[in-house]
Amino acid sequence: MTNPSSSASGAVMIEARGVEKWYPNGFQALRGADLTVRQGEVVVIMGPSGSGKSTFIRTFNALEDFQRGSIVVDGMALSNDVRNIDAIRREVGMVFQQFNLFPHLTVLENLTLAPVLVRKRPKAEVERQARQLLERVGIHEQAHKYPGQLSGGQQQRVAIARSLCMEPRILLFDEPTSALDPEMVQEVLEVMQELATDGITMVVVTHEVRFARKVANRVVLMADGQVVEEAPPEQFFTNPQHERSKQFLRQIA
Amino acid sequence: MDRTGLPALAQRLRRELFASRTDGLITLVLLGALVALGGGFLRWALVQAQWAVVQANSTLFAVGRYPLDQQWRLWLLTTLLAAATGLSWGLLRGRSWPRNDTIAAVLLVALAVAAPLFLQLTLAIQARWWWITALLLALRWGAGRWGDRLPAAWRRLWPLLWPLLYLVGMVLISGGLGLMPVRPSDWGGLLLTLVQSSFAILLCFPLGVALALGRRSELPLLRWGSVIYIEFIRGAPLITLLFLGQNILGFLLPGGLAPDRVWRAAWVLTFFAAAYVAEAVRSGLAAVPRGQMEAARALGLPVPQALIHVVLPQALRVALPATVGQFITLLQDTTLLSLIGLLDLLGVARTVMANPAFLGKNAEVYLLLAVLFWCCCAALGLGSRALETRLNPNPLSAARA
Repeated sequence: MTNPSSSASGAVMIEARGVEKWYPNGFQALRGADLTVRQGEVVVIMGPSGSGKSTFIRTFNALEDFQRGSIVVDGMALSNDVRNIDAIRREVGMVFQQFNLFPHLTVLENLTLAPVLVRKRPKAEVERQARQLLERVGIHEQAHKYPGQLSGGQQQRVAIARSLCMEPRILLFDEPTSALDPEMVQEVLEVMQELATDGITMVVVTHEVRFARKVANRVVLMADGQVVEEAPPEQFFTNPQHERSKQFLRQIA
Repeated sequence: MDRTGLPALAQRLRRELFASRTDGLITLVLLGALVALGGGFLRWALVQAQWAVVQANSTLFAVGRYPLDQQWRLWLLTTLLAAATGLSWGLLRGRSWPRNDTIAAVLLVALAVAAPLFLQLTLAIQARWWWITALLLALRWGAGRWGDRLPAAWRRLWPLLWPLLYLVGMVLISGGLGLMPVRPSDWGGLLLTLVQSSFAILLCFPLGVALALGRRSELPLLRWGSVIYIEFIRGAPLITLLFLGQNILGFLLPGGLAPDRVWRAAWVLTFFAAAYVAEAVRSGLAAVPRGQMEAARALGLPVPQALIHVVLPQALRVALPATVGQFITLLQDTTLLSLIGLLDLLGVARTVMANPAFLGKNAEVYLLLAVLFWCCCAALGLGSRALETRLNPNPLSAARA
């Protein structure tokens, strides 16, 4: 059991308290969800489908709004202030289930678009950094291809590199391997594991138990829009306290 | 098996046209009909038709009552347009000469030789057409061959040549800046048709994109404004709007923008086409997955930048065929201008046919009109297809994950 950077004493990066969210159709997706993530931590969120885990992490960068409760990201309170939201999004990267690469841009352009436009960094410098990142995720030969010419696993690794190119302080992963063919899951998980060792703060929604055991500092179980249990992975998988956790682990076993 | 020559051809014809008894029958019937129709048409065109009506009025069809001593401006403009076309064509294609380009070049040469002969133009004017065609093809060849030696910044900026040329063209046509002014009511024929349709095409596109975005906006006033505008325009026949525009546009637009009937009509065409372009663009926007906007926003791009750099490039590529279809309709709709008394191509045609000297020559005139419109629409269609391939360097990108 290796917990790469257990820095439970690090600064608080995400502080969510009593978050409640209703969709416009009246369905309540979050019913008072709480979570604290510290700097350098890797938190894995698990739970049955419909438990609100994706919705929860999407509130962290304001892709979803919420009606009650409070979220503070990197010292900035999430509110309806647009400037605040853009500032938070610059610091929070997100990797999606469907990759969401920009199909009309090359791999390299996918990486450089935001840093050049948003951070106003010189293009040559960003390109240099982008090539390094692509090398790091193992796809530097494909820099001038278009996303449609890559496999799913390669696309997801490009998506991770694209997030990293903005030099975020936090990375959110929304089921990053769920849309992949089984043989491509591993290559993406390996990249994520390497990031975790580098000490970047990560919140990962996933069903990959082995990844959670190996990489997570904490595992969080969500059910019915609430955080039900929060524990170190060893304890969570071998000796869950809550009835919902036991039930969930039986189902995925 | 690589079989060539006559036996192979015969076998292929047999396979494709006479594979079974029914196939053979269909082929024979269609061939018979084709020969009868084509033969009849050729006999009419070569023997019966009297093309004097076109030959005598070729200037009228081309430019209407544009003052004779100022027509050099239009020749200059045509030359500039040919040059710009040749340059753009060459830069788009580079060194390669696809089969379509060769066909187009041959057709252009044939047209430059045959059309002036047919119209019985004077040798001096025939020579102008040869020179213009030669310029176009030479620039196509030259730009294709040496275009990649241009500095990168130039190659990125060359499309700006067109809006610039448009402004120059408007000055050349209407006068000003030291040129003698020519009133819009003196423009006519193909010139008026092209001025009207190009003005409307250029302006309706940005307007249509704005309306499509407005229709998807979260601001209620903007959304409902766009919806009402689009649905109102699409619910009214163009001819009604043209008459309406002649009467009320003077009050609606800021003074000086629509001083006379020609410009009022141009604005109506623009506003009309914008509503349809908006719907085409909306379908394109709907084709872009929501995740694209989310990914762009998650990277910290503000909405306008996300739209410009991520959503619109994808949406417009999807919307391009429908939009160009709209442009082609617009070009053909300019014939309605003759109903409000403007001398566009159809308007000129009607005055010519009303001339007692050319009584009963309707078929010749209408055929000329059909061919002219076909040429314009074909050019639009070809241009858009080239643009489509250009915008889609990667055929696989259409298949999204």
